[in-house]
Amino acid sequence: MRLTTVIPSVDFNGMLSTCIAALRVSIEAAGLSGHRIVVVDNASRFPYRTDEFGAGVDILRFDTPQSFSRACNAGASLHPDHHVLFLNNDVFLHRDALADMLGTRRRFNAQITGARLVFASGDIQHCGVNADGRNPQPFHIDVHKPTHIVSRAHRACMAVTGAAMLVDRICLQQTGGFDEIYPFAYEDVDLCLRARELGFRIACAQTVDSLHLTSMSPDRFKHEKTSRMIFEKRWRDRMTTDVLEGFAR
Amino acid sequence: MNYYVLPGAGIFGGIKVGFQFCDILSGLGLRVLVVTPDGEVPAWFCASTPVISRAVFEARVTTRDTVFFSLPHDYDWVSTLPGRKVFHCQGTDPLIEPVIADENLHLLSCWKQAHDFLAAKTGRPVIDVGISISDIFLYDGEPKAERLVTYMPRRGEGIADAVRDGNRYFSFEPISGRIEPDCAWLMKTSDYYLATARNEFFGLPALEAMAAGAVVLSVPVNGGMEYLHHGRNCLVDEAGDFSTLLNRLADRASENLRAELRHRGIETAYGYRRSQQVRKIRNALSGPLAELVSCD
Repeated sequence: MRLTTVIPSVDFNGMLSTCIAALRVSIEAAGLSGHRIVVVDNASRFPYRTDEFGAGVDILRFDTPQSFSRACNAGASLHPDHHVLFLNNDVFLHRDALADMLGTRRRFNAQITGARLVFASGDIQHCGVNADGRNPQPFHIDVHKPTHIVSRAHRACMAVTGAAMLVDRICLQQTGGFDEIYPFAYEDVDLCLRARELGFRIACAQTVDSLHLTSMSPDRFKHEKTSRMIFEKRWRDRMTTDVLEGFAR
Repeated sequence: MNYYVLPGAGIFGGIKVGFQFCDILSGLGLRVLVVTPDGEVPAWFCASTPVISRAVFEARVTTRDTVFFSLPHDYDWVSTLPGRKVFHCQGTDPLIEPVIADENLHLLSCWKQAHDFLAAKTGRPVIDVGISISDIFLYDGEPKAERLVTYMPRRGEGIADAVRDGNRYFSFEPISGRIEPDCAWLMKTSDYYLATARNEFFGLPALEAMAAGAVVLSVPVNGGMEYLHHGRNCLVDEAGDFSTLLNRLADRASENLRAELRHRGIETAYGYRRSQQVRKIRNALSGPLAELVSCD
Protein backbone atom coordinates (compact mmCIF):
# COMPACT_ATOMS: atom_id res chain seq x y z
CA MET A 1 0.00 0.00 0.00
CA ARG A 2 1.43 3.35 -1.02
CA LEU A 3 0.55 5.90 1.62
CA THR A 4 1.27 9.57 2.12
CA THR A 5 0.57 11.32 5.40
CA VAL A 6 -0.42 14.95 5.02
CA ILE A 7 0.04 17.15 8.08
CA PRO A 8 -1.07 20.77 7.79
CA SER A 9 0.73 22.82 10.39
CA VAL A 10 1.44 26.35 11.52
CA ASP A 11 4.32 26.93 13.93
CA PHE A 12 4.38 24.57 16.98
CA ASN A 13 7.60 22.97 15.75
CA GLY A 14 8.06 20.89 18.87
CA MET A 15 4.56 19.50 18.74
CA LEU A 16 4.90 18.72 15.05
CA SER A 17 8.17 16.87 15.68
CA THR A 18 6.48 14.74 18.32
CA CYS A 19 3.55 14.11 16.00
CA ILE A 20 5.90 12.91 13.25
CA ALA A 21 7.93 10.78 15.65
CA ALA A 22 4.79 9.00 16.83
CA LEU A 23 3.65 8.63 13.22
CA ARG A 24 6.92 6.95 12.26
CA VAL A 25 6.54 4.42 15.05
CA SER A 26 3.01 3.66 13.96
CA ILE A 27 4.06 3.33 10.30
CA GLU A 28 6.78 0.88 11.24
CA ALA A 29 4.41 -1.14 13.42
CA ALA A 30 1.96 -1.32 10.52
CA GLY A 31 4.71 -2.68 8.30
CA LEU A 32 4.33 -0.01 5.63
CA SER A 33 7.21 0.77 3.32
CA GLY A 34 7.65 3.52 0.77
CA HIS A 35 5.62 5.82 2.94
CA ARG A 36 5.88 9.60 2.50
CA ILE A 37 5.13 12.43 4.89
CA VAL A 38 4.08 15.82 3.59
CA VAL A 39 4.10 18.71 6.02
CA VAL A 40 2.07 21.59 4.70
CA ASP A 41 3.59 24.68 6.25
CA ASN A 42 0.57 26.93 6.33
CA ALA A 43 2.45 30.21 6.71
CA SER A 44 4.41 29.59 9.88
CA ARG A 45 6.27 32.64 11.15
CA PHE A 46 9.52 30.82 10.58
CA PRO A 47 9.32 28.38 7.65
CA TYR A 48 9.95 24.76 8.56
CA ARG A 49 13.37 23.55 7.45
CA THR A 50 13.57 20.54 5.15
CA ASP A 51 16.01 18.80 7.51
CA GLU A 52 13.97 19.49 10.60
CA PHE A 53 11.87 16.33 10.69
CA GLY A 54 14.17 13.67 9.29
CA ALA A 55 14.19 11.74 6.04
CA GLY A 56 11.14 11.08 3.93
CA VAL A 57 9.42 14.34 4.80
CA ASP A 58 8.41 16.79 2.10
CA ILE A 59 7.67 20.37 3.09
CA LEU A 60 5.07 22.28 1.13
CA ARG A 61 5.20 25.92 2.10
CA PHE A 62 2.46 28.53 1.84
CA ASP A 63 3.55 32.09 2.56
CA THR A 64 -0.01 33.21 3.21
CA PRO A 65 -2.47 31.21 5.32
CA GLN A 66 -4.70 28.85 3.41
CA SER A 67 -7.84 27.11 4.52
CA PHE A 68 -7.44 23.70 6.12
CA SER A 69 -9.09 22.18 3.05
CA ARG A 70 -6.75 23.91 0.65
CA ALA A 71 -3.72 22.88 2.70
CA CYS A 72 -4.84 19.26 2.84
CA ASN A 73 -5.68 19.05 -0.85
CA ALA A 74 -2.37 20.60 -1.82
CA GLY A 75 -0.49 18.13 0.35
CA ALA A 76 -2.44 15.19 -1.05
CA SER A 77 -1.66 16.22 -4.61
CA LEU A 78 2.09 15.86 -4.07
CA HIS A 79 1.99 12.07 -4.45
CA PRO A 80 -1.06 11.55 -6.62
CA ASP A 81 -0.94 7.75 -6.70
CA HIS A 82 -0.91 7.33 -2.93
CA HIS A 83 -3.68 6.78 -0.43
CA VAL A 84 -3.64 9.59 2.09
CA LEU A 85 -3.63 9.80 5.85
CA PHE A 86 -4.66 13.29 6.88
CA LEU A 87 -3.22 13.99 10.29
CA ASN A 88 -3.41 17.01 12.55
CA ASN A 89 -0.16 18.20 14.06
CA ASP A 90 -1.60 17.80 17.54
CA VAL A 91 -2.40 14.10 17.11
CA PHE A 92 0.11 11.64 18.54
CA LEU A 93 -0.73 8.25 17.11
CA HIS A 94 -0.62 5.15 19.25
CA ARG A 95 1.98 2.65 18.09
CA ASP A 96 -0.75 0.36 16.71
CA ALA A 97 -3.12 3.05 15.47
CA LEU A 98 -2.25 2.84 11.80
CA ALA A 99 -2.40 -0.96 11.78
CA ASP A 100 -5.76 -0.69 13.50
CA MET A 101 -7.02 1.74 10.86
CA LEU A 102 -5.81 -0.45 8.03
CA GLY A 103 -7.47 -3.48 9.60
CA THR A 104 -10.74 -1.60 10.00
CA ARG A 105 -10.48 -0.37 6.43
CA ARG A 106 -10.23 -3.94 5.20
CA ARG A 107 -12.90 -5.31 7.45
CA PHE A 108 -15.51 -2.73 6.48
CA ASN A 109 -14.34 -2.30 2.91
CA ALA A 110 -14.15 1.36 3.91
CA GLN A 111 -12.70 4.06 1.73
CA ILE A 112 -12.49 6.54 4.60
CA THR A 113 -11.26 5.31 7.96
CA GLY A 114 -10.91 7.24 11.19
CA ALA A 115 -9.00 6.64 14.41
CA ARG A 116 -10.11 6.57 18.00
CA LEU A 117 -8.74 9.69 19.68
CA VAL A 118 -8.67 10.76 23.31
CA PHE A 119 -8.02 14.02 25.10
CA ALA A 120 -5.03 14.28 27.40
CA SER A 121 -7.41 13.31 30.21
CA GLY A 122 -8.05 9.97 28.55
CA ASP A 123 -11.64 10.86 27.75
CA ILE A 124 -13.00 10.23 24.28
CA GLN A 125 -12.41 13.00 21.76
CA HIS A 126 -13.38 11.00 18.69
CA CYS A 127 -14.62 7.50 17.99
CA GLY A 128 -16.86 8.39 15.06
CA VAL A 129 -19.12 11.23 14.06
CA ASN A 130 -22.85 11.13 13.69
CA ALA A 131 -25.38 13.79 12.87
CA ASP A 132 -28.98 14.64 13.36
CA GLY A 133 -31.28 14.26 10.43
CA ARG A 134 -33.31 17.43 9.98
CA ASN A 135 -30.90 19.75 11.67
CA PRO A 136 -27.49 18.78 10.40
CA GLN A 137 -25.42 19.08 13.53
CA PRO A 138 -22.52 16.65 13.44
CA PHE A 139 -21.36 15.51 16.85
CA HIS A 140 -18.68 13.25 18.21
CA ILE A 141 -20.09 9.98 19.44
CA ASP A 142 -19.45 9.43 23.17
CA VAL A 143 -17.33 12.56 23.42
CA HIS A 144 -15.92 13.29 26.91
CA LYS A 145 -16.78 9.83 28.20
CA PRO A 146 -13.89 7.97 29.84
CA THR A 147 -12.48 5.73 27.16
CA HIS A 148 -12.67 2.61 29.32
CA ILE A 149 -16.47 2.74 29.35
CA VAL A 150 -16.85 3.23 25.59
CA SER A 151 -17.17 0.10 23.47
CA ARG A 152 -14.26 -0.83 21.27
CA ALA A 153 -16.48 -2.54 18.74
CA HIS A 154 -15.32 -1.37 15.33
CA ARG A 155 -18.15 0.36 13.60
CA ALA A 156 -19.27 1.97 10.40
CA CYS A 157 -20.35 5.54 10.93
CA MET A 158 -21.61 8.56 9.11
CA ALA A 159 -18.33 10.47 9.27
CA VAL A 160 -14.95 10.60 10.96
CA THR A 161 -12.79 13.49 12.00
CA GLY A 162 -10.18 14.88 9.64
CA ALA A 163 -7.74 14.97 12.56
CA ALA A 164 -6.71 11.41 11.65
CA MET A 165 -8.43 10.29 8.49
CA LEU A 166 -7.23 7.63 6.08
CA VAL A 167 -8.69 8.20 2.61
CA ASP A 168 -8.38 5.90 -0.36
CA ARG A 169 -7.05 7.59 -3.47
CA ILE A 170 -10.08 6.62 -5.55
CA CYS A 171 -12.30 8.33 -3.01
CA LEU A 172 -10.17 11.47 -3.12
CA GLN A 173 -10.28 11.45 -6.90
CA GLN A 174 -14.01 10.98 -7.15
CA THR A 175 -14.93 13.47 -4.42
CA GLY A 176 -12.31 15.99 -5.42
CA GLY A 177 -10.96 15.97 -1.85
CA PHE A 178 -11.96 18.51 0.78
CA ASP A 179 -14.25 21.24 -0.45
CA GLU A 180 -12.24 24.43 -0.25
CA ILE A 181 -15.37 26.50 0.24
CA TYR A 182 -15.05 25.77 3.97
CA PRO A 183 -12.77 28.26 5.73
CA PHE A 184 -12.09 25.98 8.72
CA ALA A 185 -14.22 23.15 10.23
CA TYR A 186 -16.88 20.83 8.86
CA GLU A 187 -14.90 20.08 5.70
CA ASP A 188 -14.11 16.61 7.05
CA VAL A 189 -17.73 15.69 7.68
CA ASP A 190 -18.68 17.18 4.35
CA LEU A 191 -16.10 15.00 2.60
CA CYS A 192 -17.49 11.90 4.31
CA LEU A 193 -21.06 12.74 3.39
CA ARG A 194 -20.14 13.40 -0.23
CA ALA A 195 -18.19 10.15 -0.29
CA ARG A 196 -21.23 8.29 1.05
CA GLU A 197 -23.31 9.70 -1.78
CA LEU A 198 -20.86 8.07 -4.16
CA GLY A 199 -21.31 4.75 -2.41
CA PHE A 200 -18.09 4.86 -0.39
CA ARG A 201 -18.07 3.55 3.15
CA ILE A 202 -16.86 5.17 6.34
CA ALA A 203 -15.58 3.35 9.42
CA CYS A 204 -13.68 4.10 12.58
CA ALA A 205 -10.98 2.01 14.21
CA GLN A 206 -11.43 1.49 17.94
CA THR A 207 -8.79 -0.87 19.26
CA VAL A 208 -6.28 1.68 20.54
CA ASP A 209 -6.40 5.30 21.67
CA SER A 210 -4.28 8.03 20.14
CA LEU A 211 -3.81 11.37 21.81
CA HIS A 212 -5.42 14.48 20.33
CA LEU A 213 -4.63 17.74 22.08
CA THR A 214 -7.35 19.46 19.97
CA SER A 215 -7.82 22.93 18.69
CA MET A 216 -4.22 24.04 18.95
CA SER A 217 -4.38 26.05 15.71
CA PRO A 218 -4.41 29.80 16.17
CA ASP A 219 -7.78 31.37 15.38
CA ARG A 220 -9.28 27.88 15.37
CA PHE A 221 -12.79 29.13 16.06
CA LYS A 222 -12.67 32.34 14.02
CA HIS A 223 -14.04 30.68 10.90
CA GLU A 224 -16.21 28.04 12.49
CA LYS A 225 -19.47 29.94 12.23
CA THR A 226 -19.06 30.56 8.50
CA SER A 227 -18.17 26.92 7.93
CA ARG A 228 -21.12 25.80 9.94
CA MET A 229 -23.51 27.92 7.90
CA ILE A 230 -22.15 26.49 4.68
CA PHE A 231 -22.49 22.99 6.02
CA GLU A 232 -26.02 23.44 7.29
CA LYS A 233 -27.20 25.02 4.06
CA ARG A 234 -25.75 22.17 2.06
CA TRP A 235 -26.87 19.23 4.15
CA ARG A 236 -30.14 20.22 5.76
CA ASP A 237 -32.72 17.52 5.02
CA ARG A 238 -30.20 15.59 2.93
CA MET A 239 -28.78 13.18 5.49
CA THR A 240 -30.26 9.93 6.59
CA THR A 241 -29.64 9.38 10.25
CA ASP A 242 -29.41 6.36 12.47
CA VAL A 243 -29.59 8.58 15.53
CA LEU A 244 -32.99 8.48 17.16
CA GLU A 245 -32.68 12.01 18.47
CA GLY A 246 -32.12 13.12 14.91
CA PHE A 247 -35.77 13.21 14.12
CA ALA A 248 -37.39 13.00 17.49
CA ARG A 249 -37.62 16.76 17.82
CA MET B 1 -23.55 0.39 -7.59
CA ASN B 2 -26.95 -0.66 -6.32
CA TYR B 3 -29.70 1.93 -6.44
CA TYR B 4 -33.09 1.67 -4.79
CA VAL B 5 -35.68 3.99 -6.27
CA LEU B 6 -38.41 5.30 -3.98
CA PRO B 7 -41.17 7.79 -4.72
CA GLY B 8 -40.43 9.92 -1.66
CA ALA B 9 -39.52 9.79 1.99
CA GLY B 10 -42.91 10.31 3.63
CA ILE B 11 -44.62 8.23 6.27
CA PHE B 12 -45.54 5.12 4.35
CA GLY B 13 -44.54 1.58 5.24
CA GLY B 14 -43.08 0.92 1.81
CA ILE B 15 -40.51 3.66 2.29
CA LYS B 16 -39.30 2.13 5.51
CA VAL B 17 -39.22 -1.38 4.08
CA GLY B 18 -37.14 -0.13 1.16
CA PHE B 19 -34.64 1.54 3.47
CA GLN B 20 -34.49 -1.53 5.71
CA PHE B 21 -33.54 -3.63 2.72
CA CYS B 22 -30.90 -1.13 1.63
CA ASP B 23 -29.42 -0.77 5.12
CA ILE B 24 -29.05 -4.53 5.35
CA LEU B 25 -27.46 -4.83 1.92
CA SER B 26 -25.10 -2.04 2.84
CA GLY B 27 -24.29 -3.68 6.16
CA LEU B 28 -23.42 -6.84 4.26
CA GLY B 29 -20.82 -4.93 2.29
CA LEU B 30 -22.58 -3.81 -0.87
CA ARG B 31 -22.57 -0.27 -2.17
CA VAL B 32 -26.13 1.00 -2.05
CA LEU B 33 -27.80 4.36 -2.55
CA VAL B 34 -31.45 5.28 -2.26
CA VAL B 35 -32.94 7.54 -4.92
CA THR B 36 -35.81 9.89 -4.12
CA PRO B 37 -37.23 12.59 -6.42
CA ASP B 38 -35.26 15.50 -4.97
CA GLY B 39 -32.91 13.62 -2.68
CA GLU B 40 -35.25 14.00 0.27
CA VAL B 41 -34.49 11.78 3.26
CA PRO B 42 -36.89 10.17 5.73
CA ALA B 43 -37.20 12.05 8.97
CA TRP B 44 -39.41 9.55 10.73
CA PHE B 45 -37.28 6.44 11.19
CA CYS B 46 -33.62 5.52 11.48
CA ALA B 47 -31.75 4.68 8.32
CA SER B 48 -28.14 4.84 7.28
CA THR B 49 -28.20 4.44 3.50
CA PRO B 50 -27.34 7.74 1.79
CA VAL B 51 -29.86 9.31 -0.55
CA ILE B 52 -29.39 11.00 -3.89
CA SER B 53 -31.83 12.76 -6.20
CA ARG B 54 -33.29 11.34 -9.38
CA ALA B 55 -31.34 13.87 -11.42
CA VAL B 56 -28.04 12.70 -9.94
CA PHE B 57 -29.07 9.08 -10.32
CA GLU B 58 -29.99 9.50 -13.99
CA ALA B 59 -26.63 11.07 -14.67
CA ARG B 60 -24.75 8.23 -12.96
CA VAL B 61 -26.58 4.99 -13.61
CA THR B 62 -24.89 2.59 -16.03
CA THR B 63 -25.45 -0.89 -17.41
CA ARG B 64 -23.21 -2.27 -14.65
CA ASP B 65 -25.60 -1.10 -11.94
CA THR B 66 -28.62 -2.73 -10.34
CA VAL B 67 -31.79 -0.70 -9.91
CA PHE B 68 -34.32 -1.84 -7.33
CA PHE B 69 -37.78 -0.38 -7.23
CA SER B 70 -40.92 -1.18 -5.37
CA LEU B 71 -43.74 0.99 -6.56
CA PRO B 72 -45.40 0.09 -9.88
CA HIS B 73 -45.73 3.79 -10.66
CA ASP B 74 -41.97 4.02 -11.03
CA TYR B 75 -41.80 1.27 -13.60
CA ASP B 76 -42.30 3.39 -16.75
CA TRP B 77 -39.45 5.66 -15.79
CA VAL B 78 -37.12 3.00 -14.38
CA SER B 79 -37.56 0.74 -17.41
CA THR B 80 -36.07 3.40 -19.70
CA LEU B 81 -32.83 3.53 -17.71
CA PRO B 82 -29.76 1.35 -18.08
CA GLY B 83 -28.91 -1.32 -15.51
CA ARG B 84 -30.42 -4.53 -14.21
CA LYS B 85 -33.95 -3.95 -12.90
CA VAL B 86 -35.23 -5.70 -9.80
CA PHE B 87 -38.78 -5.38 -8.54
CA HIS B 88 -38.96 -5.58 -4.75
CA CYS B 89 -42.55 -6.62 -4.28
CA GLN B 90 -44.15 -5.11 -1.20
CA GLY B 91 -47.76 -5.73 -2.14
CA THR B 92 -49.86 -7.68 -4.57
CA ASP B 93 -51.93 -4.81 -5.90
CA PRO B 94 -53.33 -5.54 -9.38
CA LEU B 95 -51.34 -2.52 -10.53
CA ILE B 96 -48.18 -4.62 -10.41
CA GLU B 97 -49.40 -7.18 -12.92
CA PRO B 98 -48.36 -5.24 -16.05
CA VAL B 99 -45.03 -4.53 -14.34
CA ILE B 100 -44.16 -8.10 -13.42
CA ALA B 101 -45.16 -9.20 -16.91
CA ASP B 102 -41.86 -7.70 -18.06
CA GLU B 103 -39.68 -10.78 -18.39
CA ASN B 104 -36.51 -8.76 -18.06
CA LEU B 105 -37.49 -7.82 -14.57
CA HIS B 106 -36.08 -9.80 -11.65
CA LEU B 107 -38.35 -10.42 -8.70
CA LEU B 108 -37.94 -10.17 -4.93
CA SER B 109 -40.66 -10.80 -2.39
CA CYS B 110 -40.99 -9.80 1.24
CA TRP B 111 -43.42 -12.45 2.47
CA LYS B 112 -44.88 -15.77 1.44
CA GLN B 113 -48.19 -14.62 -0.05
CA ALA B 114 -46.33 -12.13 -2.26
CA HIS B 115 -43.84 -14.83 -3.21
CA ASP B 116 -46.59 -17.24 -4.18
CA PHE B 117 -48.46 -14.54 -6.07
CA LEU B 118 -45.40 -13.57 -8.11
CA ALA B 119 -44.45 -17.17 -8.81
CA ALA B 120 -47.97 -18.06 -9.92
CA LYS B 121 -48.38 -14.99 -12.12
CA THR B 122 -44.99 -15.08 -13.79
CA GLY B 123 -43.62 -18.60 -13.49
CA ARG B 124 -40.25 -16.95 -12.93
CA PRO B 125 -37.91 -17.36 -9.97
CA VAL B 126 -38.73 -15.18 -6.99
CA ILE B 127 -36.22 -14.51 -4.23
CA ASP B 128 -37.56 -14.06 -0.72
CA VAL B 129 -35.68 -11.28 1.04
CA GLY B 130 -38.02 -10.98 4.00
CA ILE B 131 -39.33 -8.07 6.01
CA SER B 132 -38.50 -7.05 9.55
CA ILE B 133 -39.53 -4.92 12.45
CA SER B 134 -37.19 -2.32 13.85
CA ASP B 135 -35.67 -3.30 17.17
CA ILE B 136 -37.13 -0.15 18.63
CA PHE B 137 -40.51 -1.92 18.80
CA LEU B 138 -39.30 -4.78 20.99
CA TYR B 139 -41.15 -4.75 24.30
CA ASP B 140 -38.86 -4.27 27.23
CA GLY B 141 -41.18 -4.19 30.19
CA GLU B 142 -42.58 -0.71 29.70
CA PRO B 143 -45.60 -0.13 31.95
CA LYS B 144 -48.85 -0.60 30.07
CA ALA B 145 -51.54 2.06 30.24
CA GLU B 146 -54.63 0.12 31.18
CA ARG B 147 -57.22 -0.07 28.39
CA LEU B 148 -55.19 2.04 25.98
CA VAL B 149 -55.92 1.00 22.40
CA THR B 150 -53.74 2.04 19.47
CA TYR B 151 -54.76 1.78 15.85
CA MET B 152 -53.74 2.89 12.39
CA PRO B 153 -56.54 4.97 10.95
CA ARG B 154 -55.21 5.20 7.42
CA ARG B 155 -57.36 2.34 6.24
CA GLY B 156 -60.38 0.82 7.91
CA GLU B 157 -61.09 3.99 9.78
CA GLY B 158 -64.80 3.21 9.89
CA ILE B 159 -64.15 0.12 11.96
CA ALA B 160 -61.91 2.03 14.34
CA ASP B 161 -64.44 4.85 14.65
CA ALA B 162 -67.22 2.42 15.50
CA VAL B 163 -65.13 0.78 18.20
CA ARG B 164 -64.04 4.11 19.62
CA ASP B 165 -67.57 5.50 19.70
CA GLY B 166 -68.94 2.41 21.37
CA ASN B 167 -66.32 1.98 24.10
CA ARG B 168 -66.01 4.85 26.53
CA TYR B 169 -64.04 2.74 28.99
CA PHE B 170 -61.11 2.48 26.63
CA SER B 171 -58.90 5.28 25.40
CA PHE B 172 -57.81 5.28 21.77
CA GLU B 173 -54.65 6.65 20.17
CA PRO B 174 -54.11 6.70 16.41
CA ILE B 175 -50.52 6.07 15.37
CA SER B 176 -50.62 7.60 11.92
CA GLY B 177 -48.40 10.54 11.04
CA ARG B 178 -46.03 9.88 13.92
CA ILE B 179 -42.32 9.23 13.89
CA GLU B 180 -41.28 5.66 14.53
CA PRO B 181 -40.04 6.14 18.13
CA ASP B 182 -43.38 7.64 19.08
CA CYS B 183 -45.30 4.83 17.41
CA ALA B 184 -43.14 2.33 19.24
CA TRP B 185 -43.62 4.09 22.56
CA LEU B 186 -47.39 4.24 22.09
CA MET B 187 -47.59 0.59 21.15
CA LYS B 188 -45.37 -0.45 24.05
CA THR B 189 -47.58 1.37 26.50
CA SER B 190 -50.87 0.22 24.99
CA ASP B 191 -52.79 -2.92 25.89
CA TYR B 192 -54.35 -3.48 22.47
CA TYR B 193 -53.79 -2.72 18.84
CA LEU B 194 -56.55 -2.69 16.23
CA ALA B 195 -55.58 -3.70 12.68
CA THR B 196 -58.58 -2.50 10.71
CA ALA B 197 -57.41 -2.44 7.08
CA ARG B 198 -59.06 -5.32 5.24
CA ASN B 199 -56.94 -5.02 2.10
CA GLU B 200 -53.63 -4.63 3.85
CA PHE B 201 -50.93 -6.44 1.92
CA PHE B 202 -48.91 -7.37 4.97
CA GLY B 203 -49.71 -5.03 7.82
CA LEU B 204 -46.33 -4.36 9.37
CA PRO B 205 -47.83 -2.15 12.13
CA ALA B 206 -49.76 -5.12 13.54
CA LEU B 207 -46.56 -7.12 13.71
CA GLU B 208 -44.79 -4.16 15.31
CA ALA B 209 -47.62 -3.99 17.84
CA MET B 210 -47.09 -7.67 18.65
CA ALA B 211 -43.40 -6.94 19.19
CA ALA B 212 -44.40 -4.09 21.48
CA GLY B 213 -46.49 -6.39 23.62
CA ALA B 214 -49.91 -5.14 22.54
CA VAL B 215 -52.66 -7.67 21.99
CA VAL B 216 -53.61 -7.48 18.33
CA LEU B 217 -57.20 -7.57 17.10
CA SER B 218 -57.25 -7.77 13.34
CA VAL B 219 -59.47 -8.16 10.34
CA PRO B 220 -58.18 -10.75 7.85
CA VAL B 221 -55.48 -9.32 5.59
CA ASN B 222 -53.79 -10.51 2.41
CA GLY B 223 -50.22 -11.35 3.30
CA GLY B 224 -50.39 -10.88 7.04
CA MET B 225 -52.10 -14.19 7.68
CA GLU B 226 -48.65 -15.75 7.81
CA TYR B 227 -48.18 -14.17 11.23
CA LEU B 228 -51.79 -13.64 12.37
CA HIS B 229 -52.95 -16.82 14.09
CA HIS B 230 -56.40 -16.44 15.57
CA GLY B 231 -56.64 -17.51 19.15
CA ARG B 232 -52.93 -18.11 19.43
CA ASN B 233 -51.19 -14.75 19.08
CA CYS B 234 -54.11 -12.47 18.18
CA LEU B 235 -57.82 -12.43 17.57
CA VAL B 236 -58.98 -12.18 13.97
CA ASP B 237 -62.54 -11.16 13.28
CA GLU B 238 -63.96 -11.14 9.78
CA ALA B 239 -66.61 -8.58 10.62
CA GLY B 240 -64.26 -6.30 12.51
CA ASP B 241 -66.48 -6.36 15.58
CA PHE B 242 -63.70 -5.31 17.88
CA SER B 243 -66.05 -3.83 20.49
CA THR B 244 -67.18 -7.25 21.57
CA LEU B 245 -63.65 -8.61 21.50
CA LEU B 246 -62.23 -5.72 23.48
CA ASN B 247 -64.80 -6.03 26.20
CA ARG B 248 -64.30 -9.76 26.37
CA LEU B 249 -60.56 -9.40 26.64
CA ALA B 250 -60.72 -6.63 29.21
CA ASP B 251 -62.76 -8.80 31.55
CA ARG B 252 -60.85 -10.11 34.54
CA ALA B 253 -61.77 -13.61 33.53
CA SER B 254 -59.76 -13.17 30.33
CA GLU B 255 -56.52 -12.27 32.05
CA ASN B 256 -54.87 -15.52 31.09
CA LEU B 257 -56.02 -15.25 27.49
CA ARG B 258 -54.68 -11.69 27.29
CA ALA B 259 -51.32 -12.75 28.67
CA GLU B 260 -51.19 -15.74 26.34
CA LEU B 261 -51.96 -13.64 23.26
CA ARG B 262 -49.42 -11.03 24.29
CA HIS B 263 -46.63 -13.51 24.91
CA ARG B 264 -47.32 -15.47 21.75
CA GLY B 265 -47.45 -12.22 19.81
CA ILE B 266 -44.02 -11.21 21.09
CA GLU B 267 -42.76 -14.69 20.25
CA THR B 268 -44.11 -14.38 16.70
CA ALA B 269 -42.61 -10.93 16.24
CA TYR B 270 -39.19 -12.21 17.26
CA GLY B 271 -39.25 -14.30 14.11
CA TYR B 272 -39.27 -11.05 12.17
CA ARG B 273 -36.40 -9.33 13.94
CA ARG B 274 -33.96 -7.46 11.79
CA SER B 275 -31.34 -10.07 12.61
CA GLN B 276 -33.56 -12.70 10.99
CA GLN B 277 -33.87 -10.65 7.82
CA VAL B 278 -30.12 -10.06 7.78
CA ARG B 279 -29.62 -13.82 7.93
CA LYS B 280 -32.14 -14.37 5.14
CA ILE B 281 -30.53 -11.80 2.86
CA ARG B 282 -27.05 -13.07 3.67
CA ASN B 283 -28.14 -16.55 2.62
CA ALA B 284 -29.77 -15.16 -0.52
CA LEU B 285 -26.52 -13.38 -1.35
CA SER B 286 -24.79 -16.74 -1.23
CA GLY B 287 -27.28 -17.91 -3.83
CA PRO B 288 -29.45 -16.31 -6.50
CA LEU B 289 -29.40 -12.77 -5.15
CA ALA B 290 -25.66 -12.65 -5.80
CA GLU B 291 -26.39 -12.62 -9.53
CA LEU B 292 -28.71 -9.64 -9.23
CA VAL B 293 -26.78 -7.22 -7.07
CA SER B 294 -23.99 -5.06 -8.39
CA CYS B 295 -20.62 -5.61 -6.75
CA ASP B 296 -19.07 -2.52 -8.31
